[in-house]
Amino acid sequence: MNHIFRKVLLLHTVYVNMFLSFCFVSGTAAMNERQYRDMPTHGIGRWRHLLLKQAPKKKKDRNQQKELVSATDTAYGTLNVTVSGYDMTVVEHYSQYIHNFCNRLNIKVADSYALPTKSTEVLLMQEQGNKTYVDAVLKTHQRVIQLSSLNASLCPVFMDVILKNQPEGVQLSVQEHTEADYQARFKARPELEGLVAQINQIHVPNKTS
Amino acid sequence: MAAPCRKMASRSYSQLLCCFSRTAVGSGACRRFSVTPIDRATPRASTAADRATSPWSLMAAVCLQRLPVITADCSPIEQRFKQMLQQMELEKSMLSDHELRLMEDAERMSRRQADDYDSDEDLGDQEIMMTQDLEDTWEQRLKNFQPAPRVRADVDEDLTSVQRCLTDSLVLLAEQQVGAEKLWLLPQAAWQEGETLRRTAERALDSMTAGVRATFLGNAPCGVYKYKLPKAARTESSVGVKVFFFKAILVDGTPGSAPTAPLLWLKKSELQKYLKPAYMMNVGRFILNL
Repeated sequence: MNHIFRKVLLLHTVYVNMFLSFCFVSGTAAMNERQYRDMPTHGIGRWRHLLLKQAPKKKKDRNQQKELVSATDTAYGTLNVTVSGYDMTVVEHYSQYIHNFCNRLNIKVADSYALPTKSTEVLLMQEQGNKTYVDAVLKTHQRVIQLSSLNASLCPVFMDVILKNQPEGVQLSVQEHTEADYQARFKARPELEGLVAQINQIHVPNKTS
Repeated sequence: MAAPCRKMASRSYSQLLCCFSRTAVGSGACRRFSVTPIDRATPRASTAADRATSPWSLMAAVCLQRLPVITADCSPIEQRFKQMLQQMELEKSMLSDHELRLMEDAERMSRRQADDYDSDEDLGDQEIMMTQDLEDTWEQRLKNFQPAPRVRADVDEDLTSVQRCLTDSLVLLAEQQVGAEKLWLLPQAAWQEGETLRRTAERALDSMTAGVRATFLGNAPCGVYKYKLPKAARTESSVGVKVFFFKAILVDGTPGSAPTAPLLWLKKSELQKYLKPAYMMNVGRFILNL
């Protein structure tokens, strides 16, 4: 008789446990989530389930072209501030200075990139002979800061400050950003252009016939 | 420079393509500039009915600045810090190609001088110029180069010269007749119907100094100063004058032909002696002392 009562008691406690666990599970937890602790405050610090789902970032998105902002009555459109010079540390520091300055003035910086370095060979004539010999190789470094829009009233102040802080040996240039500027950054693909030319050549006789 | 691009016409708005380059002091004391305005829309002529008649007459003035040509000297603590940083950088840096070649040459020389020298070890091609000789020629050329003097005391004293105080930025002042007296002011001109204020400022600059080329930094004024006329001169329709200031940067160093009014190039610290206190307070707010 006792063992029957014990079994019934055991079963009863199991059922009660299950019932209790169903009661204490909060509305957002899944049924198959493991209740590691039986405390009613279990999971009280959870916050990641409250964030919005972010689409996973693809590698391709990084190098897409940012939209060109067009100029309005009171603001300039997308502007390119190009800093170029022979001394790389000075050029980089100056471009960093301009970037920080824009952040401080709440000017939106769309992009900040470097254009490829151009090497210039300086050839000098020899004193005795007619041959030229390589004297020096000068490398021109370029850094571009792209501003998405610049308020017309802020423009004189901005230009004044960056001009007064321009270091020696550094050229500064402020221009509008165009599609051609963006395309110029890509490397030319000679094989592709050759194939395209071939396709055009094949197609043209067909059209005329 | 990028080619000027086509933009949609916008009302009284012009875009600038500016290229500023700062190189070593040459013959002129100014930086080389090039500016290409792309789009100059003509301003709309407002009809008489649009404007509310106000008792304030408008004027536009130009704050023409000559930017500093050379960097200012470092203070003693800056010099010490600079030296320390250079030392640290030198110690942390790697050897350059030139230094590696110097070391190789020295090693080769010592091998040649050694008693058990085997001439077969030497490579077939002998270099014509040793690296040390190259370095010596470069040092010689550096000694022959004479840079221009950074500070010339006599030019600094001359307040009318554009080449004074190459480490500071200078502002142009002109002596003008205002009412009954002659005052030292930023060059200004009265606004006329149908032109933008910036155009007025350009006209003021042209009338005071002939042939000076300047780049205006924008269409928006950087400051305003208003003053009431003395009680004797006040009438119903003119209570006072509002002067709008526009900033401009000097492009060409030549002052051109003889100016119509005496001109001065002053640093911000020297402006106090020439400007009236109220005017100075207003103008000092937008002249940067960098």
